[in-house]
Amino acid sequence: MAQTLEKTLQIAGIGIIGVFVFMTLFYLLILAIDKIFPYKEEANAKENSVKESTQNKTQT
Amino acid sequence: MNTLLSLGDNLQTLWEFTGFANAELGHIIMILVGLLFIFLAIKFEFEPLLLIPIGFGILVGNIPFNEIANLKVGIYEEGSVLNILYQGVIEGWYPPLIFLGIGAMTDFSALIANPKLILIGAACQFGIFGAYIIALRLGFEPNQAGAIGIIGGADGPTAIFLSSRLAPNLMGAIAVSAYSYMALIPIIQPPFMRLLTTKKERVIRMKAPRMVSQTEKIMFPIVGLLLTAFLVPSGLPLLGMLFFGNLLKESGVTRRLAETARGPLIDIVTILLGLTVGASTQATTFLTAQSVKVFIIGALSFIIATVAGILFVKFFNLFLKKGNKINPLIGNAGVSAVPHSARMSQVVGLEYDPGNYLLMHAMGPNVAGVIGSAVAAGIMLGFLG
Repeated sequence: MAQTLEKTLQIAGIGIIGVFVFMTLFYLLILAIDKIFPYKEEANAKENSVKESTQNKTQT
Repeated sequence: MNTLLSLGDNLQTLWEFTGFANAELGHIIMILVGLLFIFLAIKFEFEPLLLIPIGFGILVGNIPFNEIANLKVGIYEEGSVLNILYQGVIEGWYPPLIFLGIGAMTDFSALIANPKLILIGAACQFGIFGAYIIALRLGFEPNQAGAIGIIGGADGPTAIFLSSRLAPNLMGAIAVSAYSYMALIPIIQPPFMRLLTTKKERVIRMKAPRMVSQTEKIMFPIVGLLLTAFLVPSGLPLLGMLFFGNLLKESGVTRRLAETARGPLIDIVTILLGLTVGASTQATTFLTAQSVKVFIIGALSFIIATVAGILFVKFFNLFLKKGNKINPLIGNAGVSAVPHSARMSQVVGLEYDPGNYLLMHAMGPNVAGVIGSAVAAGIMLGFLG
């Protein structure tokens, strides 16, 4: 009985730690993406205009 | 005389084929449950897209037909239409397709703009593991306990996916429980949100989220997929499809595919999933003491998840500077019932500060909860599958 409880707690413990490890790594990776590709208004405007012109070409 | 006898026999046979001759109390109870689901969906608009197919499925699954007549109408009769459609549930095809649609309709900007909110989505998974421990203590087998625990993830497709793998015999009870409690979020969460927060905490105003570039939005699903593949490969069927759907949405060049995934595809799969899960709740397999226990543990798992999310935010705030504090009323939103739990943050927040709009902040932990519950399901599958 005590062994079962210990195993249960082990799985639950490893499980929740696993979720936190995954989410923490994801958090750090999102921070890294922000550092590598920061939001710039001009860049975004350019990106949008490129997309629009591509769509126009596709339509024609 | 013989003609009369023959007519009598034929009428007797006809009677034996009718539902009246085969109906038992269990059938009647389940038919009433199905009607209740349909009533709640139409009258109060509680999750109508799910409750109507499930409710109708419960009616279909509990038609008291003559089982030995080999009519091939029951969901558990090999070769019946329902049985063929049910394979998508048993084999786990439907939940990943639903995740594809969810990915194609989800905007992760709130999470990318304030990534620390992702940890709230992790904290709420205490509901899953707490329910797992309770289920084991109540006498369920480890694989059954794992499947029951996932109710705390508040994610119907994840619950169906995991229960189809770990405890197919409990899938009806688990699915109905998960969807029922998702519909009851406006009743379950607010009391705990008020109980665990002070008036001062409830009026915390969070910084407006920053702008997010298209490149970041495109990188997000790719990074997420790679992280899943390397860290929790057992979560790939769900998370892989979620991130794939999101890439279709954010790439900007696959608009038609994204629209199909978040429109007709998810609608078709939802109909098939709801109908067959509902039909799988046949009285003989559903009306058991185990189902009652599943419902009780399901309620507890939602409560644990909500409490864990709120307490985690309060704990996290101890380490944050004054201007960066998080309003603990968004802690409940880590429970991944999108967007109901995020909407509750907004509703309760507005009660205490009519100018404090928490919805945009709450969407971060809300979508993180979807990822968190799928990761937890992957871990459970890794241990118990």
